Amino acid sequence: MSAPVDVSAALVAKSMAVSRWSAPAALVILAALGFAVPLWLRSSFYLGLANQGLILGVLALAAGFLMHQCRMVIFGVAAFYGAPAYLFAIASLNWSWSPNAAALFAILGTMLASLAMGFAIVRAKPLAFAMLTLAIGQMLRQLVLITGLRPITGGEDGLNIVFNGAFLGLSQSALATPARFWPVAWTVVCAVVLMVFVATRSRFGRILRATRDNEERMRFSGYDTFAPRLAAFALASFIATLGGLLQVLNSSFASPELLDFSLAGNVLVSALIGGGASVVGPIVGGVAFTLGLDQFAASGHLELFTGVAIVIVIAALPDGVEGIVARLARRRGGGDAQN
Amino acid sequence: MIAVQIANALALASLLTLLASGLALIYGLRDIMNFGHGAFYMIGAYIGHSVAARTNFWLAVIAAPAALALLGVVFEYLVLRPLRHRGAIDVALVTFGLSLIVQQVIVYLYGGASLSVSAPASLSGSASLWGATYPTYRLFLIFVGIGGCLLLTAWLRWTRVGMYVRAASQRPEVARMMGVNTNRLGLLVVCLSTASAGLAGVLAGPYLSVDPSMGGTILISCLIIVVIGGVGSIGGAVAASVLFGFIQVIGAVLLPGIAVLTPYMLLIVVLIWRPGGLGGGRLE
Repeated sequence: MSAPVDVSAALVAKSMAVSRWSAPAALVILAALGFAVPLWLRSSFYLGLANQGLILGVLALAAGFLMHQCRMVIFGVAAFYGAPAYLFAIASLNWSWSPNAAALFAILGTMLASLAMGFAIVRAKPLAFAMLTLAIGQMLRQLVLITGLRPITGGEDGLNIVFNGAFLGLSQSALATPARFWPVAWTVVCAVVLMVFVATRSRFGRILRATRDNEERMRFSGYDTFAPRLAAFALASFIATLGGLLQVLNSSFASPELLDFSLAGNVLVSALIGGGASVVGPIVGGVAFTLGLDQFAASGHLELFTGVAIVIVIAALPDGVEGIVARLARRRGGGDAQN
Repeated sequence: MIAVQIANALALASLLTLLASGLALIYGLRDIMNFGHGAFYMIGAYIGHSVAARTNFWLAVIAAPAALALLGVVFEYLVLRPLRHRGAIDVALVTFGLSLIVQQVIVYLYGGASLSVSAPASLSGSASLWGATYPTYRLFLIFVGIGGCLLLTAWLRWTRVGMYVRAASQRPEVARMMGVNTNRLGLLVVCLSTASAGLAGVLAGPYLSVDPSMGGTILISCLIIVVIGGVGSIGGAVAASVLFGFIQVIGAVLLPGIAVLTPYMLLIVVLIWRPGGLGGGRLE
């Protein structure tokens, strides 16, 4: 009687083994092919849009990771977008640092600040967390607009950055050229996708999801629920910071608009378009959203597009953010849901 | 001088109380964080501007809350009811999206420039406040703010419906089992919340400016207040509004350069000291 069961179990195991390796293999091939995009996408306008899409995708990946793994929504994602830009600008303009040093400073500075904030806010309930991050983003926006800091932050006008040398061998004008910038953005995209891929499939990811589903049970089972969530927040901050850094390397401009909280709408919609299913989804969502946004840019109704997109995307996903998770869990036969 | 600053703090707190208590009320009863609250406030201000420009200010004070209460019914049936089985974050996102749409519609209808509303003749002068002259309109705001708080407290504490609201916010299932119609209660609370946002909007007209970014700006303040007050607590929201008003005004006097940052510092200090906020977290 047991033989058929064993055979089917073996088949399941085999098919799982195939599916387990087919996804990473596809990702590796995709990553390699991605570098060739400038070869066939000749229009520098659309390549520039695609670059913007990748940057939005990186932010969406960070927000989506935290949303799906921890049910924590970063409404103030703009803070991670604007802070590295300003730090990079200040290090370049006021201290005449080289772009490499300034970039490192931007990442470390933003990460230190976000870790300090993380200590205070990852304990908060989901909605309170969302609002706290929103408040932090808004605080930064107010900070750069303070009249007294105008010599440093440039106030409403923002800061036009002049690079002191080359960033990893690329000059400022090269970084502003879509075809030259693409490999940089694509490398970052591949790296962060890999980071999230590994994080969600590790023991760390399982702890996060178990904590998300029932924190009390995890604590009761002897797990520390604070450190993993702080680590998840730090990872998301790091990824979003890389997105902000890409932005400033490409545009060499830091302005208060980067810190506008409506950015959260774009990022979260991109993450939702991508869904919780894959680590690639938010990147695709970011590119798709940027292309959609471009259609509205001419008419000057960017925020209208964001608003309509949010409502439609949420209405079109009948079970919502949490529903995607549940459906995925069912599709995987009730096993350990990856997302 | 000190009396004037205290009055300034209270005037700002009055406006914020009207908004934050409505936000806390919906959250306490329905677990909905309405990111569109600032949009309702803005719609109230623009309706107030239109009505006040054509007729008079007092009619606007009645018309804007009434219109917003009706809008609350629409909001309840078209947005909140269809989304009632969804997570809190989904609802928050949809209300956020709707507020972006409303803002664009307002820009389309009224333009992006800042508009002014003049206070009615009876309130446009100034009164004597322990030797200092003070705008009558702000005293009126303080009066409305304190009156609103007292009315809300009395309603929650001493009326049958208020008791139902408190009960449903603590144990919705038990309240339903005991025969409380929580659907009707939910509708009532949403209307009350949007109407008070509308009232705040029309009252803000002569006090602050009327422009398309007013909703977003005040929403952030209200969210800070609700978090400081302990999410969902009315008493906490009122206390936090007053605290917020005072911190803002004191900041403007003592640290004029960085006054805009003081609310955020307050938020951080309160959360480090008391992670759950000041209130108990439920309507009381």
